[in-house]
Amino acid sequence: MLEVFIRSTFLGLQLGMTFALIAAGLTLIFGMMDVINFAHGALYMLGAYFGTVIAGTFGNYWLALLLAPLFVGLIGAAIEIFSLRPLYGRNPLYHILLTFGFAIAIQGAIVLIFGGQSRRIDVPTVLEGTIQVGPVTYPVYWLFVLIVSTVLIALIWIGIERSNLGILMRASAHDTEMVNALGIDVNKVFTGVFVFGAILAGIAGVLLGGSRSVHPGMGMGIIIEAFVIVVIGGLGSFRGAVYAALLVGLVTAYGSVIAPTLTELFLFAMMAIVLIIKPSGLFGATEAA
Amino acid sequence: MSQGDSGTSESRTVGTTSQTISRRGYLAGAGAVGAAALAGCAGGEDDDTLTVGFALPYTGTYAMLGESITNGFELYIDEHDGEVNGREVEFVERDTEADTNRGVDVTRELLVEYQADAIVGPVSSAVAMAMIDTVQSEANSIWFNANAGDYRVTQDGCTPYHFRTSFNDWQTSAPLAEFVYDEVADNVCLAYADYAFGVNSKDFFAEEFEDLGGEVVDEVGAPLGTDDYSSYLGQIEDSGAEAVFSFFAGDDAVNYVNQFSDFGLDEEMTQTGSGFLLSGDTLPAQGDSALGMYSLLHYADTLDTDRNQTFYDAYADAYGEGPNVYACQGYDSAQAFAAAVEETGSSDADDLIPALEGLQIDSPRGPLAFNSETHDPVHNLYVREVVEGDDGPENEVIETFEDIEGPTWGCSL
Repeated sequence: MLEVFIRSTFLGLQLGMTFALIAAGLTLIFGMMDVINFAHGALYMLGAYFGTVIAGTFGNYWLALLLAPLFVGLIGAAIEIFSLRPLYGRNPLYHILLTFGFAIAIQGAIVLIFGGQSRRIDVPTVLEGTIQVGPVTYPVYWLFVLIVSTVLIALIWIGIERSNLGILMRASAHDTEMVNALGIDVNKVFTGVFVFGAILAGIAGVLLGGSRSVHPGMGMGIIIEAFVIVVIGGLGSFRGAVYAALLVGLVTAYGSVIAPTLTELFLFAMMAIVLIIKPSGLFGATEAA
Repeated sequence: MSQGDSGTSESRTVGTTSQTISRRGYLAGAGAVGAAALAGCAGGEDDDTLTVGFALPYTGTYAMLGESITNGFELYIDEHDGEVNGREVEFVERDTEADTNRGVDVTRELLVEYQADAIVGPVSSAVAMAMIDTVQSEANSIWFNANAGDYRVTQDGCTPYHFRTSFNDWQTSAPLAEFVYDEVADNVCLAYADYAFGVNSKDFFAEEFEDLGGEVVDEVGAPLGTDDYSSYLGQIEDSGAEAVFSFFAGDDAVNYVNQFSDFGLDEEMTQTGSGFLLSGDTLPAQGDSALGMYSLLHYADTLDTDRNQTFYDAYADAYGEGPNVYACQGYDSAQAFAAAVEETGSSDADDLIPALEGLQIDSPRGPLAFNSETHDPVHNLYVREVVEGDDGPENEVIETFEDIEGPTWGCSL
C-alpha cells in the first residue's frame, strides 16, 4: 500500500510539473494579452515532433531538448506577430477562432507530413533503466523529467517575482497604456511572452515525448487538462497555475489507483467546486502574474 | 464469462487511440486530406464496370487504417490490370470519419446512389453495427467487413451479405491461452483497455485459460487513451503473476509497452497479448521495449511464405512501405470479391453469396475461408515473438494454430 502511495505521489508530482510547464504559458498569455490560446496544445505537440526529428536525425536527445523548443518558439513568434497582433483589442472570440484554426491546421500538417503512426523520442543511455526510491522502483527518465520541470518552474517563478523583466511583464498586463507611455514597446513584450509560452510548451513536448507516444492527437488531449488547471488556478495567475497543476497531477495519479474510470470526472468536479466557491479560481481576480 | 459486460462502454475498434475530441467538428477542417472524391462517374448497373465502395475513415486517428485497407484492395485490382472477369473496376471512397451516423449515411450513399457491387469497410465496430440494418434492407451488395472485429457484429448482424475478411475478437485472444499455459506460465494478470473490445478480448482469453487449468490472479482495466500507466503497472506488479495477458491498441499499446519496460517489469514477468499490442504500426514506436514479448494475430508481415513475400514486395513497391495487417485485410477483400465474380460471372449479391461461402482464398496470411454459418473468417493464427530484426524489432512467427474458427454466437445462416 505504501509502495502504491509513493509511486503515485512521484507520478503525480511529475505530471503536475509537466502540466505546469504547459499551463504556465497558457495562463501568462491570457493574463497579459487576454488571448485564450487554443493552439497551445498544438505547440506542445510540435515540440514533441521536432524532438523526434532532431533526436532521430542526430541521435542526440540533448540537442533535441535544446533545439526543438526554440523552433516551437519561432513558430510562436510568427503566429503572434502575423495573426494575433492585428486583432488585439477586438472581441476575444476572434482570438479563440483564430487559435483554434491554428490548432487544426497544425494537426493537419503533422498528419500530412508524418502520418498517423505514433513515434517516440529515444532516451539517452544515461537516463535509461530504473532506480530504487525507497520501496519503489522508478524509471530514471521519469525522475529526470520531474527534476528538470521542477527546476524550470522554480526559475520562472523567481524570474516573474524578482527580475526587471518580470516586473515589466506584470506591468504591461496591468496597465498597457502606462507602460507604453513610459516608452516601452508593449508589442515586443507581448511577442516575448507568447514566444516564451510556446518554448515552455515545446520543452514539455520533448520531455514527455520520451515516456509517452508522440502522435497527432496529443495536443488536443493535453489542452483539456491545461484549461482545467488554468481555470482552477485562476485565469492569468502563474502561481495559481502551478498549484493547480500539482493538484491535478496528484488527483490524476491517485485517481487512477482508486477509481480509474472516474479520474476525469474528479478533475471536472474539482473545477466545478472551485468555480462555485471562488468563481475567479484559487488565485484569480486582479492578480496578473 | 460475461460477454454482456462489454455492453457498458462504447465499442471502438482496434488499432486506434482515443482522444477526447469532438471528432466531427474538429476534423471538418483537418479533413479534405485523404478522401479524394471520385465524383462524376457514378457507375450504373447497366454498364459493364464493377463498382466497389469504400466506407472507411480517411481522416482522424483511424485514417492510417482506412488508407491501408484501400491500398491493399486496390493493389490486388491493379495486379490484374484494373479488371475483374474482364470488367473494369471503379472505386468510390467515402469517409466514415469513424462516426456511426456518417457510417450509415455513407453506406446508403454507396448502395443506393452508386449502386456499388461491393462495399468495403468499416474500421470501427461501432460503425459496423450501425451499418447492419442498411446493408440488410438494401440487400443488393456484398459487404466485406475489412476490419471491425467485435463478435457482436456477427451476433447482431447475422446477415448473409456480411463477409468478414478480417478477424473476430475471440480469434485474436482465446487461442493464445493454450500457448501461454503450455509455454509461459500457469498464472496470469489481465491488463486491458477498458472498452468493449478490450473487455471482450480479456474475457475470451481468461475463459480459455481457466478451462485449461490456469489461474487468473488479478485484472487491471485502464481507461481508453491513458497516457501514464505507472499506477496500473504497480498493480500488475503487485499481482505477483508470472505473465500478463494484455489488450491495448494504437497509442495505448505504445505507451503501455514502453512504460512496462521503463518500470523494469519486463524483467519480472512475461508480456503476452492480442496481436494489436505489438503490431506493425506500433512496433516502430515501441522499439527495444517490445523485445521478447508474445502476441497472437492472423497476420505477420514477416510470415515466411512465398505468397506473403510476393505480396510484401508488391505492396512495398507500390506504396513505399511494407504492408500491415489492415492492408492484408483489404487485399483479401479484393481477392474474395474477384474470385466470386469470376466463378459466377455475375455481380449480383444473391449469386455471389454461395460462391463466397465455398471459397478457398490463398491469402498472404495463409489459407482463408468463410464459415458458412457466420461468414466469419476461418484462418490461421500466429503466435509471434518480438525479436531483433535487420531494421529494428520485428515479429517472428513461432507457432501456428491452423484453421481457427471460434464460436458462432447464435448466428446460423
